[in-house]
Amino acid sequence: MQNTLDGIGLHQLFTSGYRNLKKNMEAINDLNVFPVPDGDTGANMVMTFGGGLQAVSETESHVGQYMQGLSRAVLLSARGNSGVIFSQFVHGLYRGFAEKETVTFADLAEAFACAKEDAYHSIIAPTEGTILTVIREAAEFLAENAEKYDSFQTGFDALQVQMSASLKRTPELLSVLKEAGVVDSGGAGLVCFVDGICAHLHGESPEEIPDHMDWSAAPAPIASNFGPDSRLEYGYCTEFILQLMNYKTDLAAFDLQKFTDPLEQMGDSIVAVHNDGIVKIHIHTFTPDMVLGYARRFGEFVSVKIENMSIQHSQVQTAVQKEKVKYAIIAVAAGEGIKEYFESIGASYVIDGGQTNNPPVSAFLEAFAKFDAEHIVVLPNNSNIVLAANQAADAYTECDVRVIPTKSITEGCSALSMMSPWYDTVDEMVEEMSQNLGNVTTGYVTTAVRDANMDGMTVKKGDCIGLDGKHLMASEANRVETAKALVEKIMAATPKDVIIFFYGEAVTEEEVQELSNFLQEAYPLVDVGFVSGKQSVYDFIISLE
Amino acid sequence: MKDFVIITDSTSDLTLEMRQQFNIEYVPMQYIIDGVEFKASLDWESHSVKEYYDLMRNGLRIYTTQILKDTYLEAFQNAIDAGKDVVYIGCSSALSASIKVALLVAMEMKEQNPDAGIYCIDSLISSLGQGYLAMEASRKRAEGLSAADTAAYIESIKLCVNQCGTVGSLEYLRRAGRVKASKAFFGNLFGVKPLIISDRKGQNFAYKKAKGTANARIGIAEHIVEAANGVYEELFLTHADCAEEMELVKEEILKRAPFKKVTVNTIGPIVGASVGPGTVIAFCLGTEVTIEGNE
Repeated sequence: MQNTLDGIGLHQLFTSGYRNLKKNMEAINDLNVFPVPDGDTGANMVMTFGGGLQAVSETESHVGQYMQGLSRAVLLSARGNSGVIFSQFVHGLYRGFAEKETVTFADLAEAFACAKEDAYHSIIAPTEGTILTVIREAAEFLAENAEKYDSFQTGFDALQVQMSASLKRTPELLSVLKEAGVVDSGGAGLVCFVDGICAHLHGESPEEIPDHMDWSAAPAPIASNFGPDSRLEYGYCTEFILQLMNYKTDLAAFDLQKFTDPLEQMGDSIVAVHNDGIVKIHIHTFTPDMVLGYARRFGEFVSVKIENMSIQHSQVQTAVQKEKVKYAIIAVAAGEGIKEYFESIGASYVIDGGQTNNPPVSAFLEAFAKFDAEHIVVLPNNSNIVLAANQAADAYTECDVRVIPTKSITEGCSALSMMSPWYDTVDEMVEEMSQNLGNVTTGYVTTAVRDANMDGMTVKKGDCIGLDGKHLMASEANRVETAKALVEKIMAATPKDVIIFFYGEAVTEEEVQELSNFLQEAYPLVDVGFVSGKQSVYDFIISLE
Repeated sequence: MKDFVIITDSTSDLTLEMRQQFNIEYVPMQYIIDGVEFKASLDWESHSVKEYYDLMRNGLRIYTTQILKDTYLEAFQNAIDAGKDVVYIGCSSALSASIKVALLVAMEMKEQNPDAGIYCIDSLISSLGQGYLAMEASRKRAEGLSAADTAAYIESIKLCVNQCGTVGSLEYLRRAGRVKASKAFFGNLFGVKPLIISDRKGQNFAYKKAKGTANARIGIAEHIVEAANGVYEELFLTHADCAEEMELVKEEILKRAPFKKVTVNTIGPIVGASVGPGTVIAFCLGTEVTIEGNE
């Protein structure tokens, strides 16, 4: 029963909300039919809020201070239509909470009112039956009822019921949704976010929430082949962040409405946001050159993204020539060195992704379409990516696709090392590749990001820690000593035959040599390998098999 | 009927005892260490087994040369001078160009000695697989077959000699580049053993992988037993300075199939230079090899 929350408590709520949003990202992507079927609402919302959460201080206890940081960080990482609206929703919450050190559930009424205001203001032509409606109805509900709930748990439970119902009504307000037989994707994302918050308040993890099976997925967007005779059907999805410049415009007098007026002549689906001299614009236009030229009269670009919407999610179709192969192995990995390593031991293509960057289904479909293969075998290499891989495998009709549900880079490595193009059947190959996955133990050496008391060990922020994937196993003076202690503990529990170290970009050759010497002496019979993984978060990812 | 000599070469891995018992000669290739050429002796005349493979373990790359034209000329001429025909069972043409030189020499010699029967057989295999064919030829000779009939017989069974083995380290395969395998085999794989067969083209072909040494033994045993197809006469095993590992492979095979006779030897310097220390190879007569590596 939490009657008040501080910034840290709020961060935990949001983190749980985000995790559930991320968990449902693919389902949300599949719902996206409005305004154009580009299928990336879920990804955009995840990237938008995730980017904010990553940048914000999780130890800021003052609610107003915390929200200020979060709001700015979310805006900077905002992408896509729904992402920008979501970022404005967060900005509204910040306005509502700005002066508060702690908040109660009743405070949400004012915050949601601000959130509604900001969200509607960001859209030039607000459309009902979208995330905006879900936000508005939630704000109306809270204005009337927030006072009745003295705990966040009961309050959010009621809010969740209300918002789910609101979401289900979206097809009644927007015919394009009704035709496609789906609910609004942005609204669904917001409901997922709230579901995750409820889960946290009940002491559950978002992973325990059942999936939203009642959202019937929209038909997959039809990939179009944009060629010399194609028509520019949808124009360009154009997004940019503009830093207003003092020498070009009067910042104090800058009027977003006046700025966006001319844009309405150049395109539609406009989302515009202005905060502290930074303007973020999303527009669908046939003349992005005009839009950019106009915008540049006021400032300079921080970043620009322009995508042809006819091919936004079907770049695959424009691939010039496909490679004809019996087996294509598609792996997911992050870190230049690790990606290169996967390619060197037989991956046909490596999709960039991992724990913090789950590739969407479309990334898999794009990768599949690169090959004219008889069979495709997918190594997702992360438990959060297995689902997307499976969905892609189901959705792909060009050839047989198998997913080996590898849950880590190390499992992927184990599977891939057994790949050979000369197996008689794909079944035999998949069996051989899967055979040893149960024997793979993964060790991670990294730096603690906060003080913690875990598994009977006390560590301070900044300490080197060694984990076996689940438990804190070692913490020594430096990463090499930590790696040694971690390997010793894992080997003592279950002796292994092969140890592979993927060392991160911060690790020096001397450190590798020291580890190599140690292992040679301690485990002369073990096959030891070192791969320069160039990964960032973990100094060492250790595969013990 | 005209008697004939059976000649093989440095890759046959026949011991002195076997060569004496079956009355088999051999023509040598050479290996080169630090620019110095040595006769690739089946009796390890210049370097002992351990010395030789330790040089490789210490990172030395050993180069090998094919059999010289003069070496063939001399060997074949000696037989002709003694009034005998020749059956030469040479190393797989996919591993050494020697057999091509032999065929050329035989052609030239026949022009001058039209009555001479010189039969050069591309064994499409090496090590004791090749040695086995030479011993088989000797048995046929003892049964009274002519050189021509013996050669025809050997030609008819050579693709039924099955091989399966693995290496101590992929490093040697990478360095020597004599084993056919997918590019990925030569990536930085750890703890993975290739299962190497001799394919229809006589290539040493890494056609499968095994995780770890124990699984590699099982893989070899299963391949050999399947190839033998219920006829468990003779099993041949060779090793590159790893007799203990070879014993374990033998156990694994005999657990599954009671071969009546087991013949073992070390892998000679020529095959050894391309597969490296720690290699174990098993051979048996069985069903005809169908696999053909083509990448």
